[in-house]
Amino acid sequence: MKRPMGERMKTSIVGLGQTEFSKNSGRSELKLATEAILAALEDAGLEVDDIDGLVRYTWDHTSEATIVNALGIKALKYYGETEFGGVNCCGAVAQASAAIEAGLASCVVFYRALNARSGVRFGRGERVLEEVDGGLVTRQPEPPGDIYSAPFGLLVPGQHHALYAQAYAGHYGLDTEAMTEMLGAIAVTQRGYANGNPRALLHDRTLSMEEYRAGRVISTPLRIYDYCLETDGAMAMVIVSRERARSLGAKAVDVLAAGQHIFPGSVPMYLYAADTHSLAPEAVGRELFGKAGLSASDIDLAMIYDATSMMVPIALEDFGLIGRGEAHDFFTSGGHGPGGTLPVNTHGGLLSEGYFHGLNTIAEGVRQLRGESHNQVSAETALVTLRGASSMVLGRA
Amino acid sequence: MTVIRPSEDYLDQPFWTHLAAGTLHLSSCDDCGKAHHPPSPICPHCRSFNTGWKPASGRATLKSFTEVRHPVHTLLEPSVPYVVTLVELEEGVRMVSGLPPGHEAELRVGMALECTVIRHDPRFALPYFLPAPEAEQPDTA
Repeated sequence: MKRPMGERMKTSIVGLGQTEFSKNSGRSELKLATEAILAALEDAGLEVDDIDGLVRYTWDHTSEATIVNALGIKALKYYGETEFGGVNCCGAVAQASAAIEAGLASCVVFYRALNARSGVRFGRGERVLEEVDGGLVTRQPEPPGDIYSAPFGLLVPGQHHALYAQAYAGHYGLDTEAMTEMLGAIAVTQRGYANGNPRALLHDRTLSMEEYRAGRVISTPLRIYDYCLETDGAMAMVIVSRERARSLGAKAVDVLAAGQHIFPGSVPMYLYAADTHSLAPEAVGRELFGKAGLSASDIDLAMIYDATSMMVPIALEDFGLIGRGEAHDFFTSGGHGPGGTLPVNTHGGLLSEGYFHGLNTIAEGVRQLRGESHNQVSAETALVTLRGASSMVLGRA
Repeated sequence: MTVIRPSEDYLDQPFWTHLAAGTLHLSSCDDCGKAHHPPSPICPHCRSFNTGWKPASGRATLKSFTEVRHPVHTLLEPSVPYVVTLVELEEGVRMVSGLPPGHEAELRVGMALECTVIRHDPRFALPYFLPAPEAEQPDTA
Protein backbone atom coordinates (compact mmCIF):
# COMPACT_ATOMS: atom_id res chain seq x y z
CA MET A 1 0.00 0.00 0.00
CA LYS A 2 2.06 2.95 -1.27
CA ARG A 3 1.45 6.46 0.00
CA PRO A 4 2.41 9.76 -1.65
CA MET A 5 6.16 9.88 -2.04
CA GLY A 6 6.75 13.62 -1.76
CA GLU A 7 8.38 13.18 1.62
CA ARG A 8 10.89 10.60 0.46
CA MET A 9 14.55 11.45 0.63
CA LYS A 10 16.11 12.17 -2.73
CA THR A 11 19.49 10.50 -2.34
CA SER A 12 21.05 7.19 -3.31
CA ILE A 13 23.95 5.04 -2.19
CA VAL A 14 26.03 4.50 -5.32
CA GLY A 15 29.27 2.97 -4.10
CA LEU A 16 30.48 0.52 -1.47
CA GLY A 17 34.10 -0.11 -0.57
CA GLN A 18 35.82 -2.13 2.09
CA THR A 19 39.00 -3.80 3.15
CA GLU A 20 39.03 -7.41 4.27
CA PHE A 21 37.69 -8.03 7.78
CA SER A 22 40.36 -9.53 10.03
CA LYS A 23 41.60 -9.99 13.57
CA ASN A 24 44.76 -8.04 12.81
CA SER A 25 44.87 -5.77 9.78
CA GLY A 26 48.61 -5.13 10.07
CA ARG A 27 48.20 -1.51 8.97
CA SER A 28 47.10 1.88 10.29
CA GLU A 29 43.49 3.02 10.49
CA LEU A 30 44.36 5.83 8.05
CA LYS A 31 45.60 3.33 5.47
CA LEU A 32 42.48 1.21 5.99
CA ALA A 33 40.21 4.26 5.62
CA THR A 34 41.81 5.43 2.38
CA GLU A 35 41.73 1.92 0.89
CA ALA A 36 38.00 1.66 1.61
CA ILE A 37 37.24 5.14 0.24
CA LEU A 38 39.11 4.48 -3.03
CA ALA A 39 37.31 1.16 -3.41
CA ALA A 40 33.92 2.84 -2.85
CA LEU A 41 34.71 5.50 -5.47
CA GLU A 42 35.74 2.86 -7.99
CA ASP A 43 32.51 0.98 -7.33
CA ALA A 44 30.55 4.18 -8.02
CA GLY A 45 32.59 5.16 -11.09
CA LEU A 46 33.72 8.38 -9.39
CA GLU A 47 37.11 10.03 -8.68
CA VAL A 48 38.67 11.44 -5.52
CA ASP A 49 38.04 14.96 -6.82
CA ASP A 50 34.31 14.25 -7.00
CA ILE A 51 34.19 14.04 -3.18
CA ASP A 52 32.97 17.31 -1.67
CA GLY A 53 31.56 15.96 1.60
CA LEU A 54 32.59 13.57 4.37
CA VAL A 55 30.66 12.15 7.32
CA ARG A 56 31.88 9.96 10.16
CA TYR A 57 31.19 8.88 13.74
CA THR A 58 32.67 10.97 16.56
CA TRP A 59 34.25 7.72 17.76
CA ASP A 60 36.23 7.30 14.54
CA HIS A 61 39.92 8.13 15.05
CA THR A 62 40.60 9.30 11.50
CA SER A 63 39.53 12.95 11.18
CA GLU A 64 38.14 14.59 8.08
CA ALA A 65 41.26 16.78 7.98
CA THR A 66 43.43 13.69 7.91
CA ILE A 67 41.42 12.24 5.02
CA VAL A 68 41.51 15.51 3.05
CA ASN A 69 45.27 15.72 3.45
CA ALA A 70 45.95 12.05 2.79
CA LEU A 71 43.83 11.83 -0.36
CA GLY A 72 44.51 15.38 -1.54
CA ILE A 73 40.79 16.14 -1.83
CA LYS A 74 40.82 19.50 -3.63
CA ALA A 75 37.67 21.09 -2.20
CA LEU A 76 35.71 19.67 0.72
CA LYS A 77 32.58 21.79 1.21
CA TYR A 78 30.76 19.83 3.91
CA TYR A 79 31.96 17.61 6.74
CA GLY A 80 30.01 16.50 9.75
CA GLU A 81 30.06 14.00 12.55
CA THR A 82 27.32 12.02 14.24
CA GLU A 83 27.79 11.21 17.92
CA PHE A 84 28.96 7.77 19.09
CA GLY A 85 29.55 4.86 16.72
CA GLY A 86 27.08 2.35 15.39
CA VAL A 87 24.19 4.11 17.15
CA ASN A 88 24.31 6.43 14.17
CA CYS A 89 24.93 4.09 11.25
CA CYS A 90 21.75 5.39 9.64
CA GLY A 91 22.14 8.82 11.25
CA ALA A 92 25.30 9.40 9.22
CA VAL A 93 23.45 8.55 6.00
CA ALA A 94 20.61 10.88 7.05
CA GLN A 95 23.15 13.64 7.67
CA ALA A 96 24.84 13.09 4.30
CA SER A 97 21.45 13.07 2.59
CA ALA A 98 20.36 16.26 4.36
CA ALA A 99 23.58 17.99 3.31
CA ILE A 100 23.02 16.95 -0.32
CA GLU A 101 19.35 17.98 -0.31
CA ALA A 102 20.32 21.35 1.23
CA GLY A 103 22.89 21.93 -1.50
CA LEU A 104 25.88 21.90 0.85
CA ALA A 105 27.55 19.02 -0.97
CA SER A 106 26.90 16.80 -3.97
CA CYS A 107 28.99 13.69 -3.27
CA VAL A 108 29.39 12.61 0.36
CA VAL A 109 31.51 9.73 1.59
CA PHE A 110 30.66 8.00 4.89
CA TYR A 111 33.68 6.12 6.22
CA ARG A 112 34.66 4.05 9.24
CA ALA A 113 38.09 2.59 9.96
CA LEU A 114 39.07 0.72 13.07
CA ASN A 115 41.51 -1.73 14.45
CA ALA A 116 38.93 -2.82 17.00
CA ARG A 117 40.37 -6.29 17.44
CA SER A 118 44.11 -5.72 17.45
CA GLY A 119 43.79 -2.27 19.10
CA VAL A 120 41.56 -1.03 21.94
CA ARG A 121 38.64 -3.46 22.27
CA PHE A 122 35.11 -2.22 22.97
CA GLY A 123 34.34 -5.35 24.93
CA ARG A 124 37.13 -4.84 27.45
CA GLY A 125 36.99 -2.88 30.69
CA GLU A 126 40.39 -1.29 30.06
CA ARG A 127 38.63 1.19 27.78
CA VAL A 128 36.84 2.82 30.73
CA LEU A 129 38.91 1.88 33.81
CA GLU A 130 42.24 2.92 35.28
CA GLU A 131 44.39 0.95 37.68
CA VAL A 132 45.22 3.05 40.76
CA ASP A 133 47.14 1.60 43.72
CA GLY A 134 46.17 -1.94 42.77
CA GLY A 135 42.47 -1.06 42.49
CA LEU A 136 40.20 0.05 39.65
CA VAL A 137 38.87 3.59 39.18
CA THR A 138 36.38 5.10 36.73
CA ARG A 139 36.29 8.74 35.67
CA GLN A 140 33.56 8.27 33.05
CA PRO A 141 30.67 10.76 33.42
CA GLU A 142 28.36 8.71 31.16
CA PRO A 143 27.73 5.02 30.38
CA PRO A 144 29.26 2.64 29.60
CA GLY A 145 31.46 2.28 32.65
CA ASP A 146 30.33 5.53 34.30
CA ILE A 147 30.62 6.39 37.99
CA TYR A 148 27.02 5.30 38.75
CA SER A 149 27.15 1.88 37.09
CA ALA A 150 30.80 0.76 37.00
CA PRO A 151 31.05 0.23 40.79
CA PHE A 152 28.53 -2.61 40.39
CA GLY A 153 30.61 -4.15 37.61
CA LEU A 154 28.49 -2.93 34.67
CA LEU A 155 31.25 -1.91 32.31
CA VAL A 156 30.74 -2.82 28.68
CA PRO A 157 27.86 -2.76 26.17
CA GLY A 158 27.64 -6.56 26.11
CA GLN A 159 26.57 -6.50 29.77
CA HIS A 160 23.94 -3.83 29.07
CA HIS A 161 22.54 -6.10 26.38
CA ALA A 162 22.21 -8.90 28.93
CA LEU A 163 20.01 -6.53 30.95
CA TYR A 164 17.85 -5.87 27.86
CA ALA A 165 17.53 -9.62 27.32
CA GLN A 166 16.48 -10.40 30.90
CA ALA A 167 14.04 -7.47 30.92
CA TYR A 168 12.46 -8.87 27.75
CA ALA A 169 12.31 -12.38 29.23
CA GLY A 170 10.74 -11.05 32.42
CA HIS A 171 8.21 -8.87 30.59
CA TYR A 172 6.94 -11.69 28.37
CA GLY A 173 7.41 -14.49 30.90
CA LEU A 174 9.95 -16.40 28.79
CA ASP A 175 11.93 -18.95 30.79
CA THR A 176 15.61 -19.77 30.30
CA GLU A 177 14.85 -22.51 27.77
CA ALA A 178 12.60 -20.26 25.68
CA MET A 179 15.28 -17.54 25.60
CA THR A 180 17.89 -20.12 24.59
CA GLU A 181 15.64 -21.35 21.76
CA MET A 182 14.98 -17.82 20.48
CA LEU A 183 18.52 -16.44 20.72
CA GLY A 184 20.03 -19.68 19.46
CA ALA A 185 17.75 -19.61 16.41
CA ILE A 186 19.13 -16.14 15.60
CA ALA A 187 22.81 -16.99 16.14
CA VAL A 188 22.64 -20.31 14.28
CA THR A 189 20.70 -18.95 11.29
CA GLN A 190 22.98 -15.94 10.94
CA ARG A 191 26.00 -18.24 11.04
CA GLY A 192 24.44 -20.18 8.22
CA TYR A 193 24.20 -16.97 6.19
CA ALA A 194 27.85 -16.22 7.02
CA ASN A 195 28.85 -19.66 5.78
CA GLY A 196 27.49 -18.58 2.39
CA ASN A 197 29.28 -15.20 2.49
CA PRO A 198 33.04 -15.22 1.71
CA ARG A 199 33.46 -11.76 3.32
CA ALA A 200 32.40 -13.09 6.71
CA LEU A 201 35.04 -13.57 9.38
CA LEU A 202 33.31 -16.84 10.30
CA HIS A 203 32.67 -17.98 6.74
CA ASP A 204 34.38 -21.30 7.38
CA ARG A 205 33.01 -21.99 10.87
CA THR A 206 29.64 -23.70 11.15
CA LEU A 207 27.45 -23.44 14.26
CA SER A 208 24.83 -25.97 15.30
CA MET A 209 22.14 -25.51 17.94
CA GLU A 210 23.98 -28.08 20.09
CA GLU A 211 27.19 -26.03 19.86
CA TYR A 212 25.21 -22.88 20.65
CA ARG A 213 23.74 -24.45 23.78
CA ALA A 214 27.19 -25.60 24.90
CA GLY A 215 28.60 -22.08 24.41
CA ARG A 216 30.17 -20.32 27.37
CA VAL A 217 27.80 -17.98 29.22
CA ILE A 218 29.26 -14.46 29.21
CA SER A 219 26.58 -12.58 31.11
CA THR A 220 23.26 -14.36 31.68
CA PRO A 221 21.27 -15.06 29.57
CA LEU A 222 23.78 -14.34 26.77
CA ARG A 223 26.37 -16.83 25.53
CA ILE A 224 29.54 -16.26 23.56
CA TYR A 225 27.64 -16.88 20.29
CA ASP A 226 25.19 -14.08 21.09
CA TYR A 227 28.00 -11.52 20.79
CA CYS A 228 29.41 -9.68 17.78
CA LEU A 229 32.99 -10.12 16.60
CA GLU A 230 35.45 -7.33 17.28
CA THR A 231 37.04 -6.71 13.92
CA ASP A 232 39.82 -4.82 12.13
CA GLY A 233 39.12 -3.15 8.80
CA ALA A 234 37.45 -0.22 7.06
CA MET A 235 34.34 0.45 5.04
CA ALA A 236 33.10 3.43 3.03
CA MET A 237 30.02 4.30 1.03
CA VAL A 238 29.26 7.07 -1.47
CA ILE A 239 26.01 9.03 -1.31
CA VAL A 240 24.77 11.36 -4.10
CA SER A 241 21.44 12.84 -5.18
CA ARG A 242 19.04 10.40 -6.85
CA GLU A 243 19.18 12.53 -9.99
CA ARG A 244 22.96 12.23 -10.16
CA ALA A 245 22.78 8.51 -9.36
CA ARG A 246 20.57 8.00 -12.41
CA SER A 247 22.93 9.96 -14.68
CA LEU A 248 25.97 8.04 -13.37
CA GLY A 249 24.58 4.71 -14.41
CA ALA A 250 25.96 3.36 -11.13
CA LYS A 251 24.30 0.46 -9.35
CA ALA A 252 22.32 2.70 -7.05
CA VAL A 253 20.09 1.91 -4.12
CA ASP A 254 17.74 4.67 -3.02
CA VAL A 255 17.53 6.12 0.50
CA LEU A 256 13.75 6.39 0.90
CA ALA A 257 13.84 7.67 4.48
CA ALA A 258 16.49 7.99 7.17
CA GLY A 259 16.53 9.57 10.60
CA GLN A 260 17.53 9.63 14.23
CA HIS A 261 15.44 9.35 17.40
CA ILE A 262 16.77 9.49 20.96
CA PHE A 263 15.04 10.36 24.21
CA PRO A 264 15.91 10.67 27.92
CA GLY A 265 17.67 7.58 29.20
CA SER A 266 18.08 6.01 25.74
CA VAL A 267 21.65 7.25 25.22
CA PRO A 268 24.61 6.84 25.53
CA MET A 269 23.59 3.32 26.53
CA TYR A 270 19.96 2.38 27.00
CA LEU A 271 19.86 2.22 30.83
CA TYR A 272 17.49 4.74 32.36
CA ALA A 273 14.50 4.90 29.99
CA ALA A 274 11.06 3.83 31.20
CA ASP A 275 11.00 0.42 29.47
CA THR A 276 13.73 -2.06 28.68
CA HIS A 277 11.81 -4.88 26.96
CA SER A 278 11.37 -2.41 24.09
CA LEU A 279 14.10 0.01 22.98
CA ALA A 280 12.18 2.42 20.71
CA PRO A 281 8.70 3.93 20.78
CA GLU A 282 6.34 2.73 18.06
CA ALA A 283 6.26 6.26 16.62
CA VAL A 284 9.82 5.78 15.30
CA GLY A 285 8.82 3.08 12.83
CA ARG A 286 5.51 4.70 11.99
CA GLU A 287 7.18 8.01 11.09
CA LEU A 288 10.04 6.37 9.19
CA PHE A 289 7.75 4.17 7.10
CA GLY A 290 5.42 7.14 6.57
CA LYS A 291 8.26 9.23 5.13
CA ALA A 292 9.19 6.34 2.86
CA GLY A 293 5.60 6.16 1.62
CA LEU A 294 5.35 2.59 2.92
CA SER A 295 4.00 0.63 5.84
CA ALA A 296 5.66 -2.09 7.91
CA SER A 297 4.09 -4.81 5.78
CA ASP A 298 5.88 -3.43 2.69
CA ILE A 299 9.33 -4.22 4.17
CA ASP A 300 10.92 -7.24 2.48
CA LEU A 301 14.20 -7.50 4.43
CA ALA A 302 15.51 -6.37 7.81
CA MET A 303 19.12 -5.47 8.49
CA ILE A 304 19.28 -5.15 12.25
CA TYR A 305 22.33 -3.87 14.13
CA ASP A 306 23.10 -6.96 16.17
CA ALA A 307 25.85 -6.07 18.62
CA THR A 308 24.17 -9.00 20.38
CA SER A 309 21.50 -11.35 19.10
CA MET A 310 19.01 -9.74 21.51
CA MET A 311 18.89 -6.58 19.38
CA VAL A 312 17.17 -8.50 16.59
CA PRO A 313 13.88 -9.58 18.22
CA ILE A 314 13.46 -6.25 19.98
CA ALA A 315 13.95 -4.27 16.76
CA LEU A 316 11.50 -6.39 14.75
CA GLU A 317 8.86 -5.88 17.45
CA ASP A 318 9.60 -2.17 17.91
CA PHE A 319 9.17 -1.53 14.17
CA GLY A 320 6.00 -3.58 13.96
CA LEU A 321 7.51 -6.11 11.54
CA ILE A 322 6.26 -8.77 13.95
CA GLY A 323 3.78 -8.40 16.82
CA ARG A 324 4.76 -7.68 20.43
CA GLY A 325 5.85 -10.85 22.18
CA GLU A 326 5.86 -12.85 18.92
CA ALA A 327 9.64 -12.99 18.53
CA HIS A 328 10.15 -16.44 20.05
CA ASP A 329 7.71 -18.08 17.65
CA PHE A 330 8.94 -16.06 14.67
CA PHE A 331 12.60 -17.00 15.10
CA THR A 332 12.14 -20.60 16.23
CA SER A 333 10.00 -21.21 13.13
CA GLY A 334 12.70 -19.74 10.87
CA GLY A 335 10.87 -16.60 9.75
CA HIS A 336 14.23 -14.82 9.47
CA GLY A 337 16.02 -17.60 7.63
CA PRO A 338 16.36 -18.58 3.98
CA GLY A 339 12.85 -18.83 2.53
CA GLY A 340 11.36 -17.16 5.61
CA THR A 341 8.75 -14.42 5.50
CA LEU A 342 11.27 -11.73 6.51
CA PRO A 343 14.94 -12.58 5.92
CA VAL A 344 17.13 -10.84 8.53
CA ASN A 345 20.88 -10.11 8.47
CA THR A 346 21.58 -12.19 5.40
CA HIS A 347 25.32 -11.37 5.55
CA GLY A 348 25.62 -13.10 8.92
CA GLY A 349 25.26 -9.87 10.86
CA LEU A 350 27.69 -8.36 13.31
CA LEU A 351 27.56 -11.76 15.02
CA SER A 352 29.12 -13.71 12.18
CA GLU A 353 30.28 -11.39 9.37
CA GLY A 354 32.12 -8.90 11.56
CA TYR A 355 31.47 -5.98 13.90
CA PHE A 356 31.67 -3.10 11.52
CA HIS A 357 29.59 -0.67 13.52
CA GLY A 358 26.64 -0.89 11.19
CA LEU A 359 28.30 -0.03 7.88
CA ASN A 360 28.27 -3.70 6.94
CA THR A 361 24.63 -3.86 8.07
CA ILE A 362 23.81 -1.08 5.58
CA ALA A 363 26.06 -2.61 2.93
CA GLU A 364 24.17 -5.91 2.99
CA GLY A 365 20.89 -4.05 2.48
CA VAL A 366 22.47 -2.28 -0.50
CA ARG A 367 23.85 -5.53 -1.94
CA GLN A 368 20.51 -7.29 -1.60
CA LEU A 369 18.70 -4.48 -3.41
CA ARG A 370 21.37 -4.44 -6.12
CA GLY A 371 20.97 -8.18 -6.52
CA GLU A 372 24.56 -8.85 -5.42
CA SER A 373 24.24 -10.60 -2.06
CA HIS A 374 25.84 -13.98 -1.55
CA ASN A 375 22.53 -15.00 0.01
CA GLN A 376 20.31 -13.21 -2.49
CA VAL A 377 16.57 -13.00 -1.89
CA SER A 378 13.85 -11.26 -3.86
CA ALA A 379 13.34 -7.82 -2.31
CA GLU A 380 12.30 -4.27 -3.15
CA THR A 381 12.77 -2.66 0.28
CA ALA A 382 14.95 -3.07 3.36
CA LEU A 383 14.79 -1.66 6.87
CA VAL A 384 18.11 -0.89 8.56
CA THR A 385 18.22 0.14 12.22
CA LEU A 386 20.09 0.29 15.47
CA ARG A 387 17.26 -0.03 18.02
CA GLY A 388 15.47 2.94 16.48
CA ALA A 389 18.17 5.40 17.61
CA SER A 390 18.89 5.68 13.91
CA SER A 391 17.12 3.90 11.13
CA MET A 392 16.40 4.02 7.41
CA VAL A 393 14.49 2.43 4.59
CA LEU A 394 16.35 1.52 1.41
CA GLY A 395 14.60 0.86 -1.87
CA ARG A 396 15.60 -0.85 -5.10
CA ALA A 397 16.30 1.85 -7.70
CA MET B 1 37.53 -8.82 45.50
CA THR B 2 37.90 -5.55 43.59
CA VAL B 3 35.17 -2.93 43.90
CA ILE B 4 35.50 -0.24 41.25
CA ARG B 5 35.60 3.27 42.73
CA PRO B 6 34.64 6.57 41.17
CA SER B 7 37.74 8.79 41.09
CA GLU B 8 38.36 10.83 44.26
CA ASP B 9 37.01 14.15 42.91
CA TYR B 10 33.57 12.60 42.34
CA LEU B 11 33.40 11.33 45.92
CA ASP B 12 33.03 14.93 47.16
CA GLN B 13 29.68 15.23 45.37
CA PRO B 14 26.44 14.96 47.43
CA PHE B 15 25.30 11.62 45.94
CA TRP B 16 28.48 10.02 47.27
CA THR B 17 28.86 11.96 50.53
CA HIS B 18 25.27 11.01 51.51
CA LEU B 19 26.04 7.36 50.77
CA ALA B 20 29.28 7.53 52.79
CA ALA B 21 27.12 8.87 55.65
CA GLY B 22 24.88 5.81 55.27
CA THR B 23 21.84 6.88 53.21
CA LEU B 24 20.80 6.93 49.54
CA HIS B 25 19.70 10.41 48.49
CA LEU B 26 18.29 11.32 45.08
CA SER B 27 18.77 14.49 43.11
CA SER B 28 15.28 16.01 43.30
CA CYS B 29 13.43 19.11 42.16
CA ASP B 30 12.34 21.52 44.90
CA ASP B 31 9.64 22.95 42.60
CA CYS B 32 7.84 19.97 41.06
CA GLY B 33 9.10 17.48 43.63
CA LYS B 34 10.19 14.81 41.17
CA ALA B 35 13.44 12.90 41.50
CA HIS B 36 15.91 12.28 38.69
CA HIS B 37 18.94 10.06 38.25
CA PRO B 38 21.77 10.38 37.40
CA PRO B 39 22.01 13.73 39.24
CA SER B 40 21.67 16.88 37.16
CA PRO B 41 21.71 20.63 37.80
CA ILE B 42 18.33 21.04 36.06
CA CYS B 43 15.07 19.15 36.54
CA PRO B 44 14.26 17.25 33.32
CA HIS B 45 10.52 17.35 34.16
CA CYS B 46 9.88 21.07 34.84
CA ARG B 47 13.29 22.53 33.85
CA SER B 48 13.77 24.22 37.21
CA PHE B 49 17.31 24.87 38.43
CA ASN B 50 15.97 24.70 41.97
CA THR B 51 17.20 21.17 42.63
CA GLY B 52 18.38 19.58 45.85
CA TRP B 53 18.75 16.22 47.58
CA LYS B 54 16.08 14.09 49.23
CA PRO B 55 16.44 10.76 51.02
CA ALA B 56 15.10 7.82 49.01
CA SER B 57 12.53 5.50 50.57
CA GLY B 58 14.72 2.57 49.56
CA ARG B 59 11.77 0.67 48.08
CA ALA B 60 12.25 -0.46 44.50
CA THR B 61 11.16 -2.94 41.82
CA LEU B 62 13.54 -5.21 39.93
CA LYS B 63 13.42 -4.40 36.20
CA SER B 64 16.28 -6.61 35.01
CA PHE B 65 19.39 -8.42 36.17
CA THR B 66 22.35 -10.35 34.85
CA GLU B 67 24.91 -12.65 36.37
CA VAL B 68 28.25 -11.56 34.91
CA ARG B 69 30.45 -14.64 34.47
CA HIS B 70 33.08 -13.34 32.08
CA PRO B 71 35.47 -10.83 33.70
CA VAL B 72 36.20 -7.92 31.33
CA HIS B 73 39.31 -6.85 33.27
CA THR B 74 42.07 -9.03 34.71
CA LEU B 75 41.58 -7.50 38.19
CA LEU B 76 37.94 -8.64 38.10
CA GLU B 77 38.81 -12.31 37.62
CA PRO B 78 38.40 -13.09 41.36
CA SER B 79 35.07 -11.17 41.41
CA VAL B 80 33.07 -13.27 38.94
CA PRO B 81 30.37 -14.37 39.00
CA TYR B 82 28.61 -11.26 40.28
CA VAL B 83 25.06 -9.94 39.82
CA VAL B 84 24.20 -6.54 38.30
CA THR B 85 20.62 -5.27 38.60
CA LEU B 86 18.50 -2.58 36.97
CA VAL B 87 16.03 -1.27 39.54
CA GLU B 88 13.19 1.25 39.53
CA LEU B 89 12.85 3.20 42.74
CA GLU B 90 9.51 4.12 44.26
CA GLU B 91 10.42 7.74 43.40
CA GLY B 92 10.18 6.85 39.70
CA VAL B 93 13.86 6.78 38.77
CA ARG B 94 15.94 3.89 37.50
CA MET B 95 19.36 2.99 38.85
CA VAL B 96 21.98 0.39 38.17
CA SER B 97 22.76 -1.65 41.28
CA GLY B 98 23.67 -5.18 42.22
CA LEU B 99 23.79 -7.78 44.93
CA PRO B 100 26.46 -7.13 47.56
CA PRO B 101 29.65 -9.16 47.00
CA GLY B 102 29.22 -12.69 48.32
CA HIS B 103 25.44 -12.36 48.57
CA GLU B 104 23.09 -14.73 46.77
CA ALA B 105 19.39 -14.27 46.09
CA GLU B 106 16.70 -15.77 43.88
CA LEU B 107 15.79 -12.91 41.52
CA ARG B 108 12.81 -12.41 39.23
CA VAL B 109 11.81 -9.37 37.19
CA GLY B 110 9.03 -7.45 38.96
CA MET B 111 9.98 -8.44 42.52
CA ALA B 112 10.07 -5.92 45.36
CA LEU B 113 13.49 -4.84 46.59
CA GLU B 114 14.81 -2.74 49.41
CA CYS B 115 17.99 -0.70 49.61
CA THR B 116 20.92 -1.46 51.85
CA VAL B 117 23.90 0.88 51.83
CA ILE B 118 27.24 -0.86 52.29
CA ARG B 119 30.36 1.13 53.07
CA HIS B 120 33.54 -0.07 51.40
CA ASP B 121 35.74 2.59 53.05
CA PRO B 122 35.13 5.88 54.92
CA ARG B 123 34.59 7.89 51.72
CA PHE B 124 32.96 5.28 49.49
CA ALA B 125 29.66 3.42 49.96
CA LEU B 126 27.23 1.87 47.47
CA PRO B 127 23.43 1.39 47.42
CA TYR B 128 22.67 -2.31 46.91
CA PHE B 129 19.16 -3.73 46.62
CA LEU B 130 18.03 -7.02 48.19
CA PRO B 131 14.69 -8.83 47.86
CA ALA B 132 12.08 -7.39 50.22
CA PRO B 133 10.43 -9.74 52.75
CA GLU B 134 7.95 -12.24 51.26
CA ALA B 135 4.95 -10.36 52.67
CA GLU B 136 5.86 -7.31 50.55
CA GLN B 137 6.26 -9.22 47.27
CA PRO B 138 3.67 -8.62 44.53
CA ASP B 139 1.21 -11.42 43.93
CA THR B 140 2.55 -13.35 40.95
CA ALA B 141 -0.17 -16.01 40.88
